[in-house]
Amino acid sequence: MSQATTAPPSRAAYLRSVLAAIGGGLLKAFNANKTSWIGLGVFLLVVLLALFAPVIAPHDPLQQNILFRLKPPSAEHWFGTDYYGRDTLSRILWGARISLTIGLLAIGSAMVIGTLIGMVAGYYGGRTDIIVMQVMDVLLAFPSLILGLIVVAMLGPSVANLVIAIALTAVPPFARIARAPTIAVKNREFIEAGRALGYSDMRLMFGHILPNIAPEILVMGSLWLATAIRVEASLAFIGLGVSPPTATWGGMIREGFENILDSFWLALFPSIAILVVVFALNLLGDGLRDAIDPRLRGEA
Amino acid sequence: MTAFVLKRLGFAVVTLFAVLTIVFFIVRVLPGDPAVAILGDQANEQALAALRARLGLDQPLYVQYVEFLGGVIVGDWGVSMVSGRPVIQEILKVLPATLELTFVSLLLGALFGIPLGVWSAVRRNRLPDYITRMASLLGLSFPAFVSAVLLLLVFAIQLRWFPVISSGQGTTLGERLRDLALPAINLGLIMAAYITRVARSAMLEVLNQDYVRTAYAKGLAFATIIWRHCLRNAMIPVVTVVGLYLGILIGNSVLTEIVFNRPGLGKLIIGALNQRDYTMLQGMMVIYTLIVVLVNLLTDLTYGLIDPRIKYA
Repeated sequence: MSQATTAPPSRAAYLRSVLAAIGGGLLKAFNANKTSWIGLGVFLLVVLLALFAPVIAPHDPLQQNILFRLKPPSAEHWFGTDYYGRDTLSRILWGARISLTIGLLAIGSAMVIGTLIGMVAGYYGGRTDIIVMQVMDVLLAFPSLILGLIVVAMLGPSVANLVIAIALTAVPPFARIARAPTIAVKNREFIEAGRALGYSDMRLMFGHILPNIAPEILVMGSLWLATAIRVEASLAFIGLGVSPPTATWGGMIREGFENILDSFWLALFPSIAILVVVFALNLLGDGLRDAIDPRLRGEA
Repeated sequence: MTAFVLKRLGFAVVTLFAVLTIVFFIVRVLPGDPAVAILGDQANEQALAALRARLGLDQPLYVQYVEFLGGVIVGDWGVSMVSGRPVIQEILKVLPATLELTFVSLLLGALFGIPLGVWSAVRRNRLPDYITRMASLLGLSFPAFVSAVLLLLVFAIQLRWFPVISSGQGTTLGERLRDLALPAINLGLIMAAYITRVARSAMLEVLNQDYVRTAYAKGLAFATIIWRHCLRNAMIPVVTVVGLYLGILIGNSVLTEIVFNRPGLGKLIIGALNQRDYTMLQGMMVIYTLIVVLVNLLTDLTYGLIDPRIKYA
């Protein structure tokens, strides 16, 4: 009977409209640059392969077979076998789970923490901004691999510690990315209007500024996911990855490197796996970034 | 000019101080007792206490901090837990090899990256541009150890053009270059990928400027416009980004040195990690910090050389 046409939208409806706006922005970016679709497709394929590794892997990744040591690729073992006779293809499929888990967790947390820091610094400005961003710049100046290496070496190599180390190196860039658009958005009319209506800082930041800067942050997230996967593999190659016998791509290349003179495929196939994932993510993020903000082209 | 240099110098000193403070606290705030890390879980309390005293870990934190800063300034970076030699000596012994590698790689990167980026920008949205963009994106997708392993497989093992292990000890120029070739090409290609992309976007920006249109309108030769009028203006972002990417280059040089078994900071830090050489690790962080701060300073000063307007800013 009573029509609530003038009643404010419910919280759920508001959230839906915000998500739709973010999704719409991303979709427009995707369509502006078709290579992003290719990147996304390849990446999703890798995610599916990793998810279903227990089902599709032809062998147990940890099953040793002394009689089948260092065999070249064959019908039985498509990518050959390693020093312990383990199936390389199965180990690559299982290794994808480790790379993706560490990468997604690290970048997910860096994205949340970094965005928060950047938004607070940008929104409040003044001394908070100067001090916070100075600290971020100093952290940013440090080579991320070296920082990651030392943190993992001190904490010990485990999935959780690798996530912490990689997240630590990725927080400053997200803070920077979130800060600039926050400063640009905070003086726009709709934020002024919100302030006039007596909205709290929290409500303005999370309800009104965040949706506006979210597409940019998500795009940087895909590029940093590529970096995170590269850093995780590099740490594993150095010997600071998740401990053996767990299959990790970097660890497999490290083992393959020891037998490189007679069994080159051991290092080759996991190398290709890393390259495919990192390239796909870069293709995805790079295309989207060009579409979202042409001025950002070329900045990492 | 003097005021500009002094201002930048002051900023570098402040940054250095801040980073050293962070290094100090990272090493101490992280969980895990360095004494236990060095001696192992089984070590008895007496030995642990003795080691803590030797490392100065039994002192209050502010005393340790002041001693650490003072030590860094006067060049006393402690003694390696493994070799017993001063940390600074060990670092200075291998530093030239790493600097040689990074410098040559940077040069290679610029030599290939800048012309490629310019070419790509001039041919925007045509085939050469697409190919260059894809190739550079692929280049920066390579983890340095993956490309190193692939280069090693092809050029050292299959074709035998270069040594598998680069000793870095060659005495003649020819030997040194042969040793340096593959590691430098590896880092140089990745660097070129980054530089190509920045050079391209910087050139695109400049090509749209009014003064470039004026230059065309008054009939200047195409090459003159590109190389004299555009490139110099496009170089500022390129130099900035090269400075920023030095961190990536340093990280990648660690991986490259391991794959090619080349002496340098990379091998030193891995050795220190494996042997839990706590003082050496701290020293390594100090030297990396020094390098990064110094490069940032040089980057800032280079702007002044490229762009005369900045000197008076």
